[in-house]
Amino acid sequence: MSSGPKKRNFQIEAFKHKVVVDPKYADKTWKILEHAIHEIYNHNASGLSFEELYRNAYNMVLHKFGEKLYSGLVSTMTFHLHTMSKSIEAAHGASFLEELNIKWNDHTKALQMIRDILMYMDRTFIPSTHKTPVHELGLNLWRDNVIHSSKIQPRLLNTLLDLILRERTGEVINRGLMRNIIKMLMDLGPSVYQEDFEKPFLEVSAEFYRAESLEFIECSDCGDYLKKAERRLNEEIERVSHYLDAKTEVKITNVVEKEMIANHMPRLVHMENSGLVKMLLDNKFEDLGRIYNLFRRVPDGLSTIRDVMTSHIRDTGKQLVTDPEKSKNPVEFVDTLLEKRDKYDKIISLAFSNDKTFQNALNASFEYFINLNPRSPEYISLFVDDKLRRGLKGEKEEDIEIILDKVMMLFRYLQEKDVFEKYYKQHLAKRLLSGKTVSDDAERSLIVKLKTECGYQFTSKLEGMFTDMKTSQDTMQGFYAAHAAELGNGPTLVVHVLTTGSWPTQSSITCNLPAELSALCEKFRSYYLGTHTGRRLSWQTNMGTADLRATFANGQKYELNVSTYQMCVLMLFNNTDSLSYREIEQATEIPSSDLKRCLQSLACVKGKNVLHKEPMSKDIGEDDAFSVNDKFTSKLRKVKIGTVVAQKETEPEKQETRQRVEEDRKPQIEAAIVRIMKSRRVLDHNNIIAEVTKQLQSRFLANPGEIKKRIESLIERDFLERDDSDRRLYRYLA
Amino acid sequence: MGVQKDRVRFNVGGKIFETTATTLAIAGRDSLFGAMFDENWDLQPNVTSTEHFIDRNPDCFAVLLDLLRTGELYIPSEIPEKLLYREALFYGLLDHVRAARCGPFDGNRLHLERSIMGRAPGDGTAIRAGPDGGCCVAHGSMVHVYDWMLEEHPPISLDYQRVNDAIWIDSESIVISACERLGRDDGGMGLFSASTGELRYKFHVTHDNQVKSYTGGALSFNSDYKLFSSCKGRSNEYGIGVWDQVTGKQIDFFYEPPGWSLGDADKLQWLHGTNCLLVATLFPRKDNCYISLLDFRDKNMVWSWSDVGAPATDERRVRDAIAMEETNSVCVVNEYEDLGFMDLRSSAGIVRWSSRSRLMKGKMPDEPCYPKLALHEGQLFSSMNDSISVFCGPDWVLTSRLRNSHGGSICDFSIGGDRLFALHSEENVFDIWETRSPPIV
Repeated sequence: MSSGPKKRNFQIEAFKHKVVVDPKYADKTWKILEHAIHEIYNHNASGLSFEELYRNAYNMVLHKFGEKLYSGLVSTMTFHLHTMSKSIEAAHGASFLEELNIKWNDHTKALQMIRDILMYMDRTFIPSTHKTPVHELGLNLWRDNVIHSSKIQPRLLNTLLDLILRERTGEVINRGLMRNIIKMLMDLGPSVYQEDFEKPFLEVSAEFYRAESLEFIECSDCGDYLKKAERRLNEEIERVSHYLDAKTEVKITNVVEKEMIANHMPRLVHMENSGLVKMLLDNKFEDLGRIYNLFRRVPDGLSTIRDVMTSHIRDTGKQLVTDPEKSKNPVEFVDTLLEKRDKYDKIISLAFSNDKTFQNALNASFEYFINLNPRSPEYISLFVDDKLRRGLKGEKEEDIEIILDKVMMLFRYLQEKDVFEKYYKQHLAKRLLSGKTVSDDAERSLIVKLKTECGYQFTSKLEGMFTDMKTSQDTMQGFYAAHAAELGNGPTLVVHVLTTGSWPTQSSITCNLPAELSALCEKFRSYYLGTHTGRRLSWQTNMGTADLRATFANGQKYELNVSTYQMCVLMLFNNTDSLSYREIEQATEIPSSDLKRCLQSLACVKGKNVLHKEPMSKDIGEDDAFSVNDKFTSKLRKVKIGTVVAQKETEPEKQETRQRVEEDRKPQIEAAIVRIMKSRRVLDHNNIIAEVTKQLQSRFLANPGEIKKRIESLIERDFLERDDSDRRLYRYLA
Repeated sequence: MGVQKDRVRFNVGGKIFETTATTLAIAGRDSLFGAMFDENWDLQPNVTSTEHFIDRNPDCFAVLLDLLRTGELYIPSEIPEKLLYREALFYGLLDHVRAARCGPFDGNRLHLERSIMGRAPGDGTAIRAGPDGGCCVAHGSMVHVYDWMLEEHPPISLDYQRVNDAIWIDSESIVISACERLGRDDGGMGLFSASTGELRYKFHVTHDNQVKSYTGGALSFNSDYKLFSSCKGRSNEYGIGVWDQVTGKQIDFFYEPPGWSLGDADKLQWLHGTNCLLVATLFPRKDNCYISLLDFRDKNMVWSWSDVGAPATDERRVRDAIAMEETNSVCVVNEYEDLGFMDLRSSAGIVRWSSRSRLMKGKMPDEPCYPKLALHEGQLFSSMNDSISVFCGPDWVLTSRLRNSHGGSICDFSIGGDRLFALHSEENVFDIWETRSPPIV
């Protein structure tokens, strides 16, 4: 053998970090693990040794074969997922979802076991190389190879959507299976659930409900349609709770709301014979509640309902207050208003969940139409008058309060509160002087309510009236105590001393009183002026009443309750049997209009005609003659002869009241102007008008023309002056 | 008598062990035992006749089985720690071992566990404790990383620029800040993997939509995944930058107001209670000290203190500051280790120095180190020269003093993961102090 340069006796090898005993070690170990993964997927794991597999996987990582292990895992798992995918694709019809579910369960179980074996890799190799952990990897591979496979993805989606459609049309579907499949999509990550299911689901649902709502709306009335919409909404919420992601609820309900409600709002609300107006008219609380709850869910839903309700209340209210028939009876007029108000109050509280915006709309509507009738303040006062005269008899205190509170509600709507005050004062005066008030508590309670509403000023005169009544009582006691001896058997006099100003102004024409009385009156006058110096008394004979004992020719005795005027007339017949109209007028000096009314009530009212008139007719003529009606009989011993009074004001009276109101407003407007100018010093015309209106709106709505007149009057009286350069500006002159 | 059904028999490397399924269940599902006895694997433990063979070291198994039984860790002297850790990693029990390694941290019961010699070329800059017991040491342009087993991992460097601060975001991630290099995008800040040392991403600063190079200074972060750093830019762009830890994107920048200092800060501290950031710039980095509290929500400096204009008696020069949220105060320390306190609720700016005697005065070592402060669960720590003082109680009474005989002055220290790490200025030695496990009875 010759030795040559090629021959080597020894070899120099590079230094190795790791001595791998068996060069095929890694392949062999991987084969074992690969086989185990196959067995796990084939449900054949019982023959495997966990300890051995764990150790092998550990060794591969330890000997730097982590990469091989990881990529091997990816390809083996991918292989099995392909097989599974094929078997799922092959499943027929309904078994498709079941097969998918079975395979998903198989995969998740296998994945858990594989992760158990590869736990060491998961803990060491994967974090340090920033690879996807085994569990997540398994889910990703399932997603990419099964769920996103071209033969499964569209079929899965269609199957799910089809099942939901079938459930919507009333079929029973396997909700458990649905839940499992949807849960699988959610486990694969929110984006998979959203992209592969939720988005198309919402689109298909929108289409479905769009078509259904059109069909429904053609063939049902508003109430039925809303019932259907509500049911659909609840079905979808229930569906989400059974097998969808909870976050889908708000999305799918939005779809139903938009398609079934938002898109059809005007049509639903204005539906002929069943829309909102019909519901309001018929008090359909349940339907109204439903419409409120459904419309609340969509943008502008509530404002749509509110607008319709408002215009309905305004229209019907306007009709009501401008209907001349209704105006004939003020009590009925106010009753109708209160009824209307109660009705809507009830609707708002029962169906509209006491929504503040609806309450405000209701109030604004009432305010709008009540003031359309200029006589509303008078009517409301008349209503109160009626209630306080007789209507409250037998009613409990709480009920009285309730009625008064309701009246106050209407009062709040009034713009011309001062007109109300005027009438209220007149009516209260009549009640007090004729002793007709049934409940002092109720009277005072209303005054307190007015006071809290409008302030001290508003009620100070009304309270003054009550004070006068009380003081008069004391005065009368004093009077009789002082003159007890002299007054023995004469007529009894009751005087109400009224403070001028507190009471409605009266025409103070004093009639001639019978002699017996005028003597007594003189006594009282001297008694009163003796105890109160510096005062002046004048008699308001037009406001008093008298009780007379009368004995008729047939021997019948009656007690007659009459007015002072009537008393004066009747007393004349003590001395004579017959008198002409002119004689009576001359003797009593009662103003002719009052005298006529007075005689009318004495001679022309059936059952109360204590006088006989010649000729017999309804009206009183200047040439009529009167005599005592000897045939007068009555079942009652006590006969109350009312004066024929127009309860409602006549047109000229109304004009007069109106004028007085306007007159009273002048100083108030002037005071407001001065107050404002005193603090602002300089202000232009428009701003003065605005501020004055604002200051006075709690009492009345000031007329800009009137304000202008008041300003001019103040300029004349040197309270204000116009600015020299700018004529629109006013200056306050201190 | 009932038969115990859950007995399990192991043959580990030839040695027989018997235990119960209950004991093994302590290991948790994410361990070899948890997986092994899961129902998926047909290994029901009630078959006592079968023994499960495990091809591992029986001595270590004994220690680990004992850990599962008692919750305590006793490593016999003949078993090297590293061997045991490796075995624990195999079984998936490493977290159990780490948790049982030492008792809960208590500044008054610390023992010197180990000292480790670094091989850094120069003086150490900073030492930072990791959340699970590891640490990193910064010196010059390098940061050396040690895990809780005190195994050294690949060192970290940001373009080999001088490192100013380092911080553990979590047990896997470290952020370091470094000086910029002129004319290049080097330096700034970067987030690194603690185990591999690789750079995940750098944090950029943008002014007026232009990315600018900068020098990163003191670091801090909060639980909203925000990262804060003091920044010095080229064109006087000084201030505090804010980044999102997860995306690495800059989300805010608090510019330094005129006459104040933020960009040069020595220390940042996030205050959870008030959602504010404490920024402290101290002597001698600047001629004066500036301490302020920033509210990023409305870009407002809600509290501030400075010694500008104070009498130049530098005995009272503040060398470190730390906010104490429980007492709404800031604690400061001067170079003689006197503690001072300021009230965060008042803007009076008065330092209330504690009357503690100056223990250090007059015996300055050759190479003095400025004091540093740390706060841990109601205990205040202050380093001074070669020792660390522990203060407790409402009046911060000195309760313990930690000192190691070699390594020279302590230039920095840090507490975390139930450990205290102290870095010495000479030879880069650092000490690990631990609390021993509580007594048996």
